[in-house]
Amino acid sequence: MRKKLESLGLNLPLLPTTTVGSFPKSKEVMEARKKLLAGKLAKKDLRPLEEQATRFWIKTQEEIGIDVLVDGEMYRGDMATYFAENLDGFKISGLVRSYGNRYYRKPIISGKIKWRGPITVDMWKFAQSLTKKPVKGMLTGPYTMMDWSFNEHYPNRREACLDMASALHEEVKALADAGAKIIQVDEPALSARPEELNDFIIEAMDIVTKGVNAYFVTHSCYGAFEFIYPDMLKLSVDNFDLEMSNSELDLVEIFKRHPFTKDISFGVVDVHSHVIEDVETVKKRIERALEVLKPEQLWIDPDCGLKTRTTEETIAKLNVLVKATKEMRASLK
Amino acid sequence: MITASAGSYPRIGTAPEKQRLRSEYVRLERGEISKEDFARVQDEVTKEVIEEQRRAGIELATDGQVRWYDQISHFARKLSGCEIKGLLRLFDTNFYFRQPVINGKVQWAAPIVVGEFTFAKKVSSIPIKPVVTGPYTLAKHSIDRHYHNFSSLVADFAVAIGKEVNALAKAGAEIIQLDEPSILKNPQEFKIFENAIAEISKNKGKARLALYTYFGDAAKLYDKLQSLPIDILGLDFTYSQKLTTTIEGSGSKKELGLGLVDGRNTRIENVKETAKVAAKILKKLGAERAYLNPSCGLDEYLPREVAFEKLKNLVAITKQVRAEMK
Repeated sequence: MRKKLESLGLNLPLLPTTTVGSFPKSKEVMEARKKLLAGKLAKKDLRPLEEQATRFWIKTQEEIGIDVLVDGEMYRGDMATYFAENLDGFKISGLVRSYGNRYYRKPIISGKIKWRGPITVDMWKFAQSLTKKPVKGMLTGPYTMMDWSFNEHYPNRREACLDMASALHEEVKALADAGAKIIQVDEPALSARPEELNDFIIEAMDIVTKGVNAYFVTHSCYGAFEFIYPDMLKLSVDNFDLEMSNSELDLVEIFKRHPFTKDISFGVVDVHSHVIEDVETVKKRIERALEVLKPEQLWIDPDCGLKTRTTEETIAKLNVLVKATKEMRASLK
Repeated sequence: MITASAGSYPRIGTAPEKQRLRSEYVRLERGEISKEDFARVQDEVTKEVIEEQRRAGIELATDGQVRWYDQISHFARKLSGCEIKGLLRLFDTNFYFRQPVINGKVQWAAPIVVGEFTFAKKVSSIPIKPVVTGPYTLAKHSIDRHYHNFSSLVADFAVAIGKEVNALAKAGAEIIQLDEPSILKNPQEFKIFENAIAEISKNKGKARLALYTYFGDAAKLYDKLQSLPIDILGLDFTYSQKLTTTIEGSGSKKELGLGLVDGRNTRIENVKETAKVAAKILKKLGAERAYLNPSCGLDEYLPREVAFEKLKNLVAITKQVRAEMK
């Protein structure tokens, strides 16, 4: 997929480093979001704080030496809820537990899903204006949006998912029109019901990406990939961003049996642990990946979004990630 | 016919005063309150969710499982031989559990949920049913680094959980719910499963054993499930087109727990339609003692406010079924 990147004008080093999407929010943003929820702050007053926090993270990623940047998602609460709030056909429920002491507001599909205008484009433009490095466009994929919502409207999961895909296609077009060259469509729910991959998930991703000239990434985590691999390679994306270090499943073993044919963003640091990995551990994980993947296929990133870590932990983990990658790059030359 | 809960109940709600458990957990993590302080909050919330079930009209409640991190690690972390590791999605839900890794012989060391049950029983004005995750489901969600033989692992989990069931029976549990969702997706392992259930059944003392299955289609395993040494069989109707006709065809030797109400969707079921399905099954069985319950536990899957509406609606459905049965 190097050719596609080059044709888009992107000259990335070997083993490009990136992150999955979210970074911890600043104290100011957190407090302002609470006030907003309590009705004590206007939405327009939140925006400058989000921009300030985005500036911080763009600058920080540049300083650390990350190659492909993200805006850090300062404006998102939850990855499904944020899009549901900005699409027609959704309501938002009360709090539902996702694990341990983490809760989120789950979307409810209560009518026909429709795109009513750009959702992420303004913030992407803002983030990209701050840096010469490419910033990924980011959205939550149609299958995850469907799977993570209560469905009170559609007769089945397929119909809900395909309408969601049509709505997100409009968002993807708007991002590409604005200049986004790398677009990430997150599908953490990808392996929820393995039989649905061929039933309609592949079809949904086709709808999202069709006719849009961009390098597409899809991110997924905590799944039972053994059940959807290698069929998942049929998804119309260029790069799979997969959690590796928190998983007890040895995907490398699976890739030995069926070669991985696309690019991969390989998760090398655990985002659910306070422990900062050392450079050697991360290098070993990269070496393990190189047993089954060509260097040209491989991108390096954390397992998942980093929003649950502190700012200090995030920076420390990313510093280790970049240092390990640079040492690996040198050894590959 | 008894209107029952099927497991967990949401531990926090949207109103700030209903979010105590969440904010106190954060304070516990920061070291601002002690474990004992936090346990007191858990006690209070347990009382609250039992009272809420009673207020909805539920006749057989649970303690809501407000102390559980998840249904797998809550048991595994107290058994020897298990170490708790990373997060993994629970079935096809949006909920994540911590996966046990088996590093040694699985053994019961001390009571796991007995204290929770006796507390709930003490503070509740309605009967309480303890819930235990079954040996097969526990083994299925673990990574085995010790046995290298799945049936031996299940067998040891069965001995361990059997001891817990025995302790619950001795503590006065009249019905013990054993959750075994995993068997529905793995019918080829029924023999292993059957042996495990026999081990549990041996240990139930005077209690009645309620095997609950969910998150899958029970129709194809229905006859085999009927042959198990259990007293009550819980079934999830939300995954199955055929289950109703299967039951009508085969009848039931067991009391049934009818999970006709979807514990994972905010859509509130139509009372008349749902009651009609239930009445049809019950007339065919002539079953006096059936349980109407949600298809699964409600924490992890529904907001607190909707869970309450679901239970109230379930009670309305029960009333309608009673009217139709006359």
